[in-house]
Amino acid sequence: MRILVVGGGTAGTIVANNLARRLSAETRAGKVRITMLSASDRHMYQPGLLYVAFGHMTPDQLYRDQASLLEPNIEFHVDPVKQFSLDKNQVRTESGKVHDYDILVIATGSRMVPEETPGLTEGAEFFYTEASAVKMFKRLREFNGGRVAVAVGVPHKCPIAPVEVMFMLHDYFKARGIRDKVQLNYYYPIGRIHTIENVAKWATPEFARIGVETETLFNIKEVDVKNKILKSEEDTQVEYDLLIVIPQHRGMEVLERDNLGEGGWIPTDRFSLAMKGRDNVYVVGDTTNLPVSKTGSAAHFQAETLAENIASIVKIGAPVRDYDGKVYCFIEAGHDRATYAMFNYQNPPDLKPPSKPMHWFKLSYNQMYWTSVRGLL
Amino acid sequence: MNTQTETSPAPSINEGDLQRLVEFAQLVTSAQDALSDDMVNRLASALSEGITLLDRLTRNEGFTHLLRELDRVENQRFLICMSNAFTAASRELATAPPSTGGIGGLLKLMSDPGTQEGLRLLAFVGARMSNSLREVHRRGL
Repeated sequence: MRILVVGGGTAGTIVANNLARRLSAETRAGKVRITMLSASDRHMYQPGLLYVAFGHMTPDQLYRDQASLLEPNIEFHVDPVKQFSLDKNQVRTESGKVHDYDILVIATGSRMVPEETPGLTEGAEFFYTEASAVKMFKRLREFNGGRVAVAVGVPHKCPIAPVEVMFMLHDYFKARGIRDKVQLNYYYPIGRIHTIENVAKWATPEFARIGVETETLFNIKEVDVKNKILKSEEDTQVEYDLLIVIPQHRGMEVLERDNLGEGGWIPTDRFSLAMKGRDNVYVVGDTTNLPVSKTGSAAHFQAETLAENIASIVKIGAPVRDYDGKVYCFIEAGHDRATYAMFNYQNPPDLKPPSKPMHWFKLSYNQMYWTSVRGLL
Repeated sequence: MNTQTETSPAPSINEGDLQRLVEFAQLVTSAQDALSDDMVNRLASALSEGITLLDRLTRNEGFTHLLRELDRVENQRFLICMSNAFTAASRELATAPPSTGGIGGLLKLMSDPGTQEGLRLLAFVGARMSNSLREVHRRGL
């Protein structure tokens, strides 16, 4: 049995490690082969980018060698996939090598696409890549007052990020002693300030408390970089001195090119995580089109379910579990406090009051992440 | 039919209990005040690496076998003797004059009963290890 995992991010790494642990006897006996193809030899802790943007972490703290995170019975290649040939049970990589598989796991993640909005790349700050997070940090340090506009594109990775960034901006400017010179404005594309209703209910008074002005039904159309004006699809516009944008995301280009899913999001069964119309292809993490957050915790819970199912398919010929839509998101709420949102397909989140121990739990998780991707937690 | 309603006794909180609760709350508050974000980061990092190391060690067949062998008293004595030998050899080497080299020096060393005992021990270990390695490869482990 040849199991091929494409993608070495959170979801792919947890699937591969979990499988390697569950199928260690089978891999030793040569009955199962687990192969991972990744675009990089390094693994990044992506939630740490927000901390980099505010100077709480440096980029080197976000990385580990991918090979060091993988179980020894996983064959690992830094060789991204160039073409998926699902009818032939094959993928072709950038190096020209062809990998055959019996079971394929697609975990290629997502990418921000600010270049699709006129003026956004030149006019706005982001924190979804190492370079953009460092640039945003430098820009924040230079900023001495004025209007900071934070706008949100959809869909995007980490749904809580827009809320967290507001609290962090408030704390950052307060620590620098210039909070009274900064006006914080928040623009969100739907009719409330967050897509998850209970998060919106919780954040509304919290935003009011720290003096954040909000505007909803604001979908980013373009940025007039020269005049520092952000325009919306709803024909409204705002002037800014510093623009921070959570940009729209897409799945990987290769998936769009091979027509695996519109926008690079693959149609996925919400319970089995199988690609719709395929019995031996599974999708996890940001790459799915599931109605759950594109976040590390969703990737984690999906990966655990999928690994258990693939292992049981190998051992008894049938899967044993369904993914229930579970997501767990920490929410940094400023003043060294944090809370969390946990929800699934059936139950909405019920946010608790923020506390310092929860903030420490979040900080601890930043370190414990490596234990998590190794398949231990 | 039992119509009696079972009632649990009302919890009694005496002053001593309350005092202990207050003291516990003070302890937690004090720990919160004493800890910083950096400390939490370092503790979590050490814990994370520690758990990873423990996981690797407990799933390492060679290491667990070694631990099982170390449970035998004779192997523990062997370890004690080995560490004593390292200490003594280190001290002896520090005061010994440098080797003069040549066949003569080698013959002198080889004729020493202690050296011969040592070589015999190494030969015993080498022979057993060689057999063991051959067996492991034969069984494809």
